Amino acid sequence: MIEVANLEKHYTVNEKEPGIAGSLRSFFSRKTKTVKAVDGVSFKIAAGEMVGFLGANGAGKTTTLKMLAGLLHPTAGTAKVAGFTPFERRSSFLKTITLVMGQKQQLLWDLPASDSFLVNQAIYEIPDLEYRATMKEFTELLDLDGILKKQVRKLSLGERMKCELAAALLHRPKVLFLDEPTIGLDVNMQVRIREFVAAYNQRFNATVILTSHYMADVTALCKRIIVVDKGHIIFDGDLSALIERSSPAKIVKLELSKVIPREILESYAPVKSLDGLFAELLVPRLETSKIAGRLLSELPVADVTIEDPDIEEIIGQLFQSQTVKS
Amino acid sequence: MKPEARIELGLLENMWRKSRTMFALWFAHMTVYRAEIFIWMLSGVVPLIMMSVWIGKASANGGTLEKFDAASFAAYFLAAWVSQQLTVAWVAWEMNFQIRQGELSSRLLRPIDPLWEHVFRHFTERFVRGPFILVFVIAGTFVVPGTKLTPDVWHVLEFLLVIHLAFLIRFLMQCCVGTLSFWFENATAFDEFLYVLQTFLAGGFAPLEFYPPAIRAVVEWTPFPYMVYYPAKILTGTLTPSETWRVMLITLAWVLAFGILRSILWRFGIKKYGAVGA
Repeated sequence: MIEVANLEKHYTVNEKEPGIAGSLRSFFSRKTKTVKAVDGVSFKIAAGEMVGFLGANGAGKTTTLKMLAGLLHPTAGTAKVAGFTPFERRSSFLKTITLVMGQKQQLLWDLPASDSFLVNQAIYEIPDLEYRATMKEFTELLDLDGILKKQVRKLSLGERMKCELAAALLHRPKVLFLDEPTIGLDVNMQVRIREFVAAYNQRFNATVILTSHYMADVTALCKRIIVVDKGHIIFDGDLSALIERSSPAKIVKLELSKVIPREILESYAPVKSLDGLFAELLVPRLETSKIAGRLLSELPVADVTIEDPDIEEIIGQLFQSQTVKS
Repeated sequence: MKPEARIELGLLENMWRKSRTMFALWFAHMTVYRAEIFIWMLSGVVPLIMMSVWIGKASANGGTLEKFDAASFAAYFLAAWVSQQLTVAWVAWEMNFQIRQGELSSRLLRPIDPLWEHVFRHFTERFVRGPFILVFVIAGTFVVPGTKLTPDVWHVLEFLLVIHLAFLIRFLMQCCVGTLSFWFENATAFDEFLYVLQTFLAGGFAPLEFYPPAIRAVVEWTPFPYMVYYPAKILTGTLTPSETWRVMLITLAWVLAFGILRSILWRFGIKKYGAVGA
């Protein structure tokens, strides 16, 4: 569904030293610098796949999405989305995709969202029957009842985001580019949006590329992730494979019924933390069940949980090392 | 019905549906800003001020000046003011904002040229502005006794046609300026420059009859008199039928010229779009 080969986007930016002297120098001779926002990115995504696109701010995630959505003209390389070259922005291509930007809105501020929906219905040439069916479905999934007739500016951030999503998906696109769709939303609303995206993916076999700083979005929706850093892909593969590769240990959390000295705990596995009756041990992945069994039988354990390390920590380590290759 | 005819009919139906929906949306949007539109109208009173100046000059000259008496000055400047009001465009400012702030992105994602949104914004705004214009015109005709905007309904029909074309000149000219935002940090400076030229050359300060012949000859080669002066002359019924035809054809030529220029600028400019912040 999506094929990207050696995609590049370079920007020329002006540079100016601070202060009056810098302004004067810049007035007579402007310094420019080329920034390689995306620098040779290649990947393929199959129809119906949901992929998390991760990276720090300025890593090139959004620029890549914008190129795939046809907003930006690539400096070099090729991209095909549903068989179309995005930048040609053909009408049939635009009816196949959508790009939702959590920090931007397409709804008209002064009018109810339902007015913007009607315009989208006309522009995307959605038949009345299909429009009504889609609206009914979205109203149920996103709980839109009662907010469609309110002025957009009077909606809460969460309500607005739900309407934005509905407006962006009204034409039932096959490819979804979601750029921080849950930014600024409370936990409940984040869950609701995630559930909606998952349901949409299931219902329409839609291909989804998702960027988010909330790792919970990615872990809940995406099996595969692509990690970009400074315009390059530094990891492309299964999220679980990344976790296994980057962190060969699992975290065994113990709640003890009496205080145990650190040395004793260390004899089982390295201790990540120890605070009174609560301890966290880094247990090698392959020995988890064996060591957990020993801990339960040999120590006064009131409760035990086994977890994977925090995905955000793993991604952070990945940015620092930049050595992991899929 | 033949399949080709059915497709044609479908296309027409879709066009009609889009137009109807966009009209309804932007009309609703513009009515929200009716007070602001009225205030904005007040900023375009130069022809009305110039009307009193020129009537004063005519009175000092014994009642007439170059075949213009008080009533004909009043008619001309009222018509010039109406023409100016009906050709107002702000698309350069909007495009400049959308391109610089990345607001253009959501428009580019839709399967419709973003130009149409601007067209409907301007078109529907005229329906909010219209009643205010009517009130001003009726009041204006009472201020100077004997003032008649037009003696003939045909002039009104000709005016309606020409004023639409005149609007398109100004609108497309501004689109070209707005498109320059793809290359410049802020393209509204060009719009300010055009505004100054238009103020002096379109006929809002004085009928072109009062310009020195050499300057008038140059002005005639610009699009500006076709936005205010000639529409005003048509509305006041002071152009011959052959002159009216000539004006219509030249106005249409300017529309085509700016339309083509806008297409070229857009085609190249869009490749420079940075979609900043969006």
